[in-house]
Amino acid sequence: MYKALVIGGSAGSFQVITKILSSLPKNFPLPVLLSLHRLKHVRSGFVEALSIKSTIPIVEPFDKESIKPGKGYLAPSNYHMYIELNKRIALSTEEPVNHSRPSIDLTFETAAQAYRNKLIGIILSGANKDGAHGLKKLKQAGGLAIVQDPNECQVKTMTEASLKVTTVDHIFTTEQIINFLLNIK
Amino acid sequence: MNKYELGIVDTRNIIRTLQDVYNYDFKNYALTFFKRRVEKIIGNYNLKDADEFIQKIKTDTALFESFLQDICVDTSEMYREPSMWRVLKEEVFPKITSDTLNFKIWFPEVASGEELYSTAIILEKLNLLKNVQFIASSISELNIEKIKKGLFDPKKIEFNDTNFVRIFNDSELSDYYTHKNEKAYWKTSLIENTKFIKQNVIFDDYPKGIKLVLFRNQMIYYNQILQERYIKIIYNCLVPGGYLAIGNKEKIDYWNSDKDYILINDSESLYKKKLS
Repeated sequence: MYKALVIGGSAGSFQVITKILSSLPKNFPLPVLLSLHRLKHVRSGFVEALSIKSTIPIVEPFDKESIKPGKGYLAPSNYHMYIELNKRIALSTEEPVNHSRPSIDLTFETAAQAYRNKLIGIILSGANKDGAHGLKKLKQAGGLAIVQDPNECQVKTMTEASLKVTTVDHIFTTEQIINFLLNIK
Repeated sequence: MNKYELGIVDTRNIIRTLQDVYNYDFKNYALTFFKRRVEKIIGNYNLKDADEFIQKIKTDTALFESFLQDICVDTSEMYREPSMWRVLKEEVFPKITSDTLNFKIWFPEVASGEELYSTAIILEKLNLLKNVQFIASSISELNIEKIKKGLFDPKKIEFNDTNFVRIFNDSELSDYYTHKNEKAYWKTSLIENTKFIKQNVIFDDYPKGIKLVLFRNQMIYYNQILQERYIKIIYNCLVPGGYLAIGNKEKIDYWNSDKDYILINDSESLYKKKLS
């Protein structure tokens, strides 16, 4: 019944992300949209590092690439990643939001417009408030909002900012996130 | 945070107005981008909603000109993706000048001018600037005026300078601009040899005999229909063997496109028009 999973993370989220990606079944039924803060000048290495651990293929998509289930899409460095209504990726070099490009807010907000109540969003560890507004939009559009348990986060600013503006559906530890995702049909 | 949000119907109405009143057709812009951009513009102009924007822009041509400027993304920087500029400097320009002395470079949407000035400075350093004719098209007259004056945002200086030393370690970018009283200007002598063309969304006037087209991260704001149309026009502008540089996350992928172009540098999305 869900059509997509979107994940946002920043400082302290890399371990969590790799743990999640290494636990998904190979035939995971949803596309996984990843908006993670990363170094602007380091174009290569990140998607490779995620791919080594991941059970599903992870790509840095090209502009207008169509989104397929069972595949991960990592926002490329120095671009925002939007989700178009026709379920394609659209990239943008517009100004950074919350000092970030990619901006988690923008990926979440546009994914919410495209997938409405068929979207699951997860905010992980991070050091600024990016993602909070996006998760709120996702929730308003009827999506399912999950936040990593701040007590488990290396840096809890991002999860706490999200919890402040949105009544989320679940506050989960990494293990609980994984169990939840394993039970998605 | 509670900014104005445009519905799909409002967005379509705005597109229709711009088409009817000004004959500018934005329907093949990427929808999410266009919608977000207009939301921002409505906010910047202190307008209430789409209806007020439509009423105003219908009669206010100055507002329309400023809309055309604001729809262009001006947040690029000098030498974005330094690795691509190294390829131009070390491979493409030497290759081009090994078989022709004078050549033309076209910027199909010059936006805020960073790509134009970046190219001019490289050619100046290679002592080739006098041999090159630039053609710079834009939908925004205001941007063209700004570029002619050399004006740029001083907030970008730090990024720009850092990128530049990744390409040239024997000089400073500040040799090419002045920064005083919170304003920054490029040396406009760099673009003396530039022909500017004010254009509509689709070209009504485009150049021929082009050796290199620089069009990075502009087509991402179009949908696939408009992208394909642009790439086909560019094909007709390029000389056989001419180069096309697009953003490193863009690709040419229409039906049979491999008959027209060859990808010569995968990581930088640099293409070459086939010889025949």
